[in-house]
Amino acid sequence: MTGRRAPRSLAALGVAVGLAFALPFGSLVVRTAADPAAFTRRLGSEELVGPLLRTVTLAGLSSLGAAVLGVAVAWCLVRTDVPARRVLGVAAALPLVLPSFVAAFAWISVFAEGGLLQELLGFGRSWRLRGLGPAVVILTLISYPYVYLPVAARLAGLPRSVEESARALGAGPVRVFATVVLPGIRSAVAAGTLLVFLYGVSEFGAVSLLRYDTLTLRIFATRLLEPEAARVMSLVLGVLALVVVAAERRVAARARRSEPVAAGGPPAVARLRFGRAPVVAFLVGVVAVALVVPVAVLARWAARGLAGGRDLLGRGAGLGELAGPTAQTVGLAVVSAAAAVAVVLPVAYLTRRFRARTGEVANLFVVAGFALPGLVLALSLVTLTLRAPLLDALYQTVPLLVFAYVVHFGAQALRAGEVAVEAVPERLREAARSLGAGRLRRFATVEVPLMAPMLAAGAGLVLLSVAKELPATLLLAPIGVDTLAVRIWSAAAEGFFARAGLAGLVLVAVSGLLTWWVTIRRVEHLRG
Amino acid sequence: MPATRLRTQRRFLRAPAAVLTIVVIAAALTGCGSGGGERITVYSGRNAELIGPLLERFARRTGISVDVRYGESADLALLLGEERDRSPADVFISQSPGAMGYVDGRRLLRRLPDRILDRVPARFRARDGDWVGLSGRVRVLVYNRDRLTVSQLPVSVLDLTDPRWRGRVGIAPTNASFQDFVTALRTLIGEDRTRRWLEGLRANDVRTYANNVAIVEAVGRGEVDLGLVNHYYNERAKAENPGVRSENHLFPAGDPGTLILVTAAGVLRTASNPAAAERLVAFLLSRGAQEFFAAETFEYPLAAGVDPAVEDLPPLADIAAPDVAFDALGDELARTRRLIRRAGLEG
Repeated sequence: MTGRRAPRSLAALGVAVGLAFALPFGSLVVRTAADPAAFTRRLGSEELVGPLLRTVTLAGLSSLGAAVLGVAVAWCLVRTDVPARRVLGVAAALPLVLPSFVAAFAWISVFAEGGLLQELLGFGRSWRLRGLGPAVVILTLISYPYVYLPVAARLAGLPRSVEESARALGAGPVRVFATVVLPGIRSAVAAGTLLVFLYGVSEFGAVSLLRYDTLTLRIFATRLLEPEAARVMSLVLGVLALVVVAAERRVAARARRSEPVAAGGPPAVARLRFGRAPVVAFLVGVVAVALVVPVAVLARWAARGLAGGRDLLGRGAGLGELAGPTAQTVGLAVVSAAAAVAVVLPVAYLTRRFRARTGEVANLFVVAGFALPGLVLALSLVTLTLRAPLLDALYQTVPLLVFAYVVHFGAQALRAGEVAVEAVPERLREAARSLGAGRLRRFATVEVPLMAPMLAAGAGLVLLSVAKELPATLLLAPIGVDTLAVRIWSAAAEGFFARAGLAGLVLVAVSGLLTWWVTIRRVEHLRG
Repeated sequence: MPATRLRTQRRFLRAPAAVLTIVVIAAALTGCGSGGGERITVYSGRNAELIGPLLERFARRTGISVDVRYGESADLALLLGEERDRSPADVFISQSPGAMGYVDGRRLLRRLPDRILDRVPARFRARDGDWVGLSGRVRVLVYNRDRLTVSQLPVSVLDLTDPRWRGRVGIAPTNASFQDFVTALRTLIGEDRTRRWLEGLRANDVRTYANNVAIVEAVGRGEVDLGLVNHYYNERAKAENPGVRSENHLFPAGDPGTLILVTAAGVLRTASNPAAAERLVAFLLSRGAQEFFAAETFEYPLAAGVDPAVEDLPPLADIAAPDVAFDALGDELARTRRLIRRAGLEG
């Protein structure tokens, strides 16, 4: 498996992809390098160090939380016979599509003094959600699908034969999980956890409402007044991401590689008897807190608008007015998800099959693209497109917007893609080769079908992220492009809650259908 | 490998291609559909909900098509700064003078003709004539009427450091409108007193929020009793939920707590059709548009002699506006921000 050199065309493709992903970060470096004195001055300032530590704390703790929660949810949904599995499977992925400022606003208003909880119960205590603790909890709840989706896809693909043998040899369920299942899903867990960390690093909406003073908050506070400071802080975020990604690669390289899938039949499913009630309660609880609470708040806003007697839903006819934004959201999300998977696959091949150094470098930049705040990334793409000959024709067009989405969220597809490449067993490829199948034919008929569930999990993550993306959409979309996320922001920012609620509900519903179509049904298909 | 799975796979690839085709066709159609005729491009930091109907009205009246890019004022200002001479924008509408000052400071605006400038009092437009105020939001004290009566409210915004209000006041220190207010405060009562006031708030356990909407919500449900916000948000909250417990209160005229913050418009140097761009700015200062600001966004109209629609607003002439050199606004705002941060309020 190792030692073979990557085909030259693949290596070239990988380098090209890596360069494209490095563009925003590269332009930050170039602009900062123009004034090195300012850079060093900022670097030591207390305005940077404290927020940086808080950023790392928040991202670290929430990625731990999301790893545990994501694996638990995935295992319960794929490996047990809980009822309503499909509905729960889709619902468990959906917290990812909630714009973080909506989710945070909802949770704050539920738990606050005089909030929804007290209103419903008629009594009780209240919590003022702010600072590290609530930020970790809320980020965990929004971002655990980064772990859940890839791990579920991986769990569904692991052969039952090994687990059955282990069981036949007398190992209990905990031991089977720890010694057989966990090594199999380890790379998927690591991939998802890293994504949560990077998400936490660049998150703005929730931390700003929760007043947790991270670097992104400082970037937004200074972006207009002290642009140079904002640039240095963005660069520090990018470097932090590179360091973390590189460190993760070293650890991952030392760890044993995960077991490839084999045609060993559908995965083992534990028949729950006495354990059924707690498992169901756990899943319902997670979905209730992570999804139902924010959705209930959205529904309450929308209901107030529909019932209010005044035309709170504004000029258009409410739902009908959302048809256009819905179609555009779906179009952009599906196209970007497919593009992201296609673009990062060469890099995944380079790193996992050929262990090529070019692949590792490309991988660094692909993954780091996720840690830059969307606003920073969008602004640097503006500069680059307008200053580069020929490229300026692309300015404010759909292709550039899709490119921005791919650069921003490609990491989500790459991590899943790497796990997918690893999951193709060598002997199947050898068998196809010995039967005389050419490289492309082997790829299309043997590898892609085997990788499909993992690739789909990656695509699902990108899709949900694009559906809620705001800053790049606002700055880079052609005028007239109008997505549901833009509608939610536009309404909520000025207190048009009824309109924001309605658009939010449509976003959640449409994303649910898409997640089913792209990801969950594939996992279900494997599970048999 | 079962054949069904391969077929699924192919379908998986085909669907995005179909969607892409539809998107491309739709984009092409919208791009070509409206060809011909005059058109201008507006970058608007003022929300679509608040200015969209006016821009549509302008397009209907004049036959000039208006393309609008909406966003946060600060982000659009940064975008203009990156685009520089390549910007497709003709007009920039900013929700705050700060973002407009950033754009003006980079020499991206062209001077407006006097016939437009003269419609607005001198203190609500740029000294260099590069931008003009459209409407004014008023800073107010929002309070919870279950907790407090009007007679119990503080007489001046400067009294909020009184121990009586300990832990009962909400502010949005990173929000542009609070920063504009503090900038005005510096010019009105001086740097030192402003700093002491901010430190006093901090010592008084003031509660910080992300924005005006969050403060009005918090006051409405009784999480805090008082909040410093713009006038508009409580009117909006009442429209959404008539039972809400929050009320606006204006400090007496002359108090620095009662202050006007302008929404501003300017024409860009890159404007490909400056005449049409100026027509839009003039339209926004016309009687009809000014009445729209009064009635729909509860603001002070700044031109055409239109009165505010909200009751109890004191006359425009009695209210303070930040009197800072607009060319230096960027620096002023940076100093304001540092003052707020040093008082320990930013986090």
